Amino acid sequence: MTRRRVAVSGIGVVAPGGIGAGQFWDLLSQGRTATRRISLFDPEGLRSQIAAECDFDPAAHGLDAGTVEQCDRYIQFARVAAAEAVRDAGLDPAREDPWRVGATLGTAVGGTTRLEHDYVLVSERGSRWDVDDRRAGPALHRAFAPSTLASSVAEQFGVHGPVQTVSTGCTSGLDAVGYAYHTVAEGRADVCVAGAADSPISPITMACFDAIKATSPNNDDPAHASRPFDADRNGFVMGEGAAVLVLEDLEHARARGAEVYCEIGGYATFGNAHHMTGLTKEGLEMARAIDAALDQARLDGTAVDYVNAHGSGTLQNDRHETAAVKRSLGAHAYATPMSSIKSMVGHSLGAIGAIELVACVLALKHQVVPPTANYTTPDPECDLDYVPRTARERTLRTVLSVGSGFGGFQSAVVLTGTGTRGGRP
Amino acid sequence: MRERRRDPRHRGAAVTGLGVVSPHGVGAEPFWKMTADGTSSLTRLGRDGCENYPLKVAGEVRGFDPAALIEETYLVQTDRFTHFALTAAQLALDDARWGPADAASPYSVGVVTAAGSGGGEFGQRELQNLWGQGPRHVGPYQSIAWFYAASTGQISIRNDFKGPCGVVAGDEAGGLDALAHAARTVRRGTDTVVVGATEAPLAPYSIVCQLGYPELSRSGDPGGAYRPFTSAACGFAPAEGGAVLLLEEERTARERGAEVRATVAGHGATFTGASRWAESRAGLARAITTALAEADCRPEEVDVVFADALGVPEADRAEALALADALGPHARRVPVTAPKTGTGRAYCAAPVLDAATAVLAMEHGLVPPTPNVLDICHDLALVTGRAHPAELRTALILSRGLMGLNSALVLRRSAASSSHRRSTLV
Amino acid sequence: MTDQITYQVTVADLAALMKRTAGVNVDPDDLGRQADDGFDTFGLDSLGLLGIVAELEKRHGRSLPEQAERCKTPAEFLALVNTSLQTGA
Repeated sequence: MTRRRVAVSGIGVVAPGGIGAGQFWDLLSQGRTATRRISLFDPEGLRSQIAAECDFDPAAHGLDAGTVEQCDRYIQFARVAAAEAVRDAGLDPAREDPWRVGATLGTAVGGTTRLEHDYVLVSERGSRWDVDDRRAGPALHRAFAPSTLASSVAEQFGVHGPVQTVSTGCTSGLDAVGYAYHTVAEGRADVCVAGAADSPISPITMACFDAIKATSPNNDDPAHASRPFDADRNGFVMGEGAAVLVLEDLEHARARGAEVYCEIGGYATFGNAHHMTGLTKEGLEMARAIDAALDQARLDGTAVDYVNAHGSGTLQNDRHETAAVKRSLGAHAYATPMSSIKSMVGHSLGAIGAIELVACVLALKHQVVPPTANYTTPDPECDLDYVPRTARERTLRTVLSVGSGFGGFQSAVVLTGTGTRGGRP
Repeated sequence: MRERRRDPRHRGAAVTGLGVVSPHGVGAEPFWKMTADGTSSLTRLGRDGCENYPLKVAGEVRGFDPAALIEETYLVQTDRFTHFALTAAQLALDDARWGPADAASPYSVGVVTAAGSGGGEFGQRELQNLWGQGPRHVGPYQSIAWFYAASTGQISIRNDFKGPCGVVAGDEAGGLDALAHAARTVRRGTDTVVVGATEAPLAPYSIVCQLGYPELSRSGDPGGAYRPFTSAACGFAPAEGGAVLLLEEERTARERGAEVRATVAGHGATFTGASRWAESRAGLARAITTALAEADCRPEEVDVVFADALGVPEADRAEALALADALGPHARRVPVTAPKTGTGRAYCAAPVLDAATAVLAMEHGLVPPTPNVLDICHDLALVTGRAHPAELRTALILSRGLMGLNSALVLRRSAASSSHRRSTLV
Repeated sequence: MTDQITYQVTVADLAALMKRTAGVNVDPDDLGRQADDGFDTFGLDSLGLLGIVAELEKRHGRSLPEQAERCKTPAEFLALVNTSLQTGA
């Protein structure tokens, strides 16, 4: 199959501690953490009572009351991130052929927050199975349909091309960008607004991760609770947010005189067929995804200058991923910085893959590797260079971002380019 | 492109197996029998706790025993929508006579599903545990049963399929997008993809969530609740169930001796805004044109159209006009059908069931009718009453979603495929 | 009370819990005989064991130690759980 070159021409992000690419990069490059005791609801009674929350005022970001009423929190995030990305790309949707512009957005749990909110009303706090429809809110059906996410972002820009919502658990963000990359590379659209959003900080989502002890119970010290790769890690810290990248046929970007950040060099995903939540020690499937993505970029493992890790901070994830990266990069893995921004912005489930890709684009732009905050004590089974606590300047041309999701999904995206938004990547 | 298809490196996606779990029954054979007979399986909604809602008529899967094919360890940790998916996937594999020995490697088999409602019944139970009794009463499977990716993950695990795995959480049109996604996955190098969609949206809270859709039929008459293209159209009846197809790279399939029953020839997808049905005319026409172009198919070559048939007058009109826009004069002649009026619309699964029906229709040389629909008020050759015999080589399947997606898929019967099935049924 | 562990949770209880929370069908006698085999040989995974721990915690109205969900065998699990229920009583 012939493939067109696909560039990243714009980025936007709503992350805890960093709304907008500027604030977001300040947080990452300074190694600050945005994790705290949950304030969105009273978490008393939960095992994990901490999260990385967005201090998000929809009105301050231009969302009118009608949009706020119609759109769940995660879609509000997505719309703000998408507006920033399109603006950043210098793209005027009105000047584009709307049939040649698409949107691909990912989410792991979609409208869960509103679904739970309205459930409490219609069930009278869980007291009846035959819930009372007359108590339901007016936008509940939009929360029920996951395609509301991509639909809402597409409507924002008058998009008429292919529109998809992707939901592959915690790899949704990487996969959404991957699907969009295919859409543009294979010629179904010239521009695709791609990204992901989730707002999972609600009682049901916190409780379901409590039940499998996947989240950190470090309630006494939220700022240092997310500890990827550290020997004392004990689970991930929930996050929320959204990120959007404008993907564009490179020739199309050149024709409109746009400057681009980098190219998508390759994308691959495989299933581990092992367990819905469990990971293997060997990381074979993730390694295969990394190899395939690099292969598409016509690169081998030694070309990778930085690995943006999934690094959730669960015991098994960080070992799995370390094994996978070593398998793909060989001895070069030891010379390659690999960090997890989840140490700072938490794990926003489906959104995080897109947020991490925006972090990668910014790393390329600034030629700086963001650190793994809170990393102090090495785990003998995690023996790579995790960029402890302090960001690091480095020449970056090829950046790899990886992710794992419930359901066994293992995905990898390779970004290539100098990141100087000047000439061609 | 024809040149492309002659290219020895071209990898075509062939349908080799069908797995169906629908209100018409479990398995492709009973489903086809009811479909070809024009039987309606729409009934008054009888599920526990669902008796008193403004939604009265739906397509329920009755007498379904998931344990007949699927191990209990999978059933306890999954919702009904995944029970359907695991069952339909196994049926599709069995139908294709595909066994683990047919995989070149675990990485050569991928799984793609579309999901539009998730594990609603499971989720409601756990929400009730949480809010009625407290967080410690939420079980360990809530984290893997409610989300949209549950079925892809479980099919992959149960069958050791490690190829590209994906989930399109679309609205109705997402079902066709999943089929196209799977066909492209084959084209990019994966030999086999298990692809489909199943939905189980008939639990009380899921129903309450759907009541906000203005397109939902509130009729209490199973014969009158879902009558697209008629002057009595009053919305759609929802349904549960769905279908899974086995897609294989065409040459690989033939090499293992599998029957190539149809090929996924073209796809087009557009977006024209949630519930903007008049605008869907242009979107659907564009999707059709794109799909036909990809299939290198002239409008006159389309032998049958499986309509979206939403049942909302404005949407039905837009669909009829879109067909006229995209197919020209052929739109008035080509047989159009909407067998989903006999099962209801199972969201993402609805067009996947239509794709399965299209394969069966081409094999049997029979266009199934549109149950409960008689008096058409559009300029379409809608097949009503009884099935219409016809030589069918190319089927066009249309779908539109409540959130504004439009999708079109072209399936073609392989030139080499026999029509031996025609004599066996109906 | 004696120094002996009083088995508040028996092999039969465990077999019933495995069936109910994880869909694992195992004969209680077999489970008793093969109590030193890994849970995985019976088809019980980590989520299933977490579900059993949660169920026991609800039933007995108290927390079990974190090691409970990391036990590899029925024998190890029953010893830990029963010791914990007895000493913590």
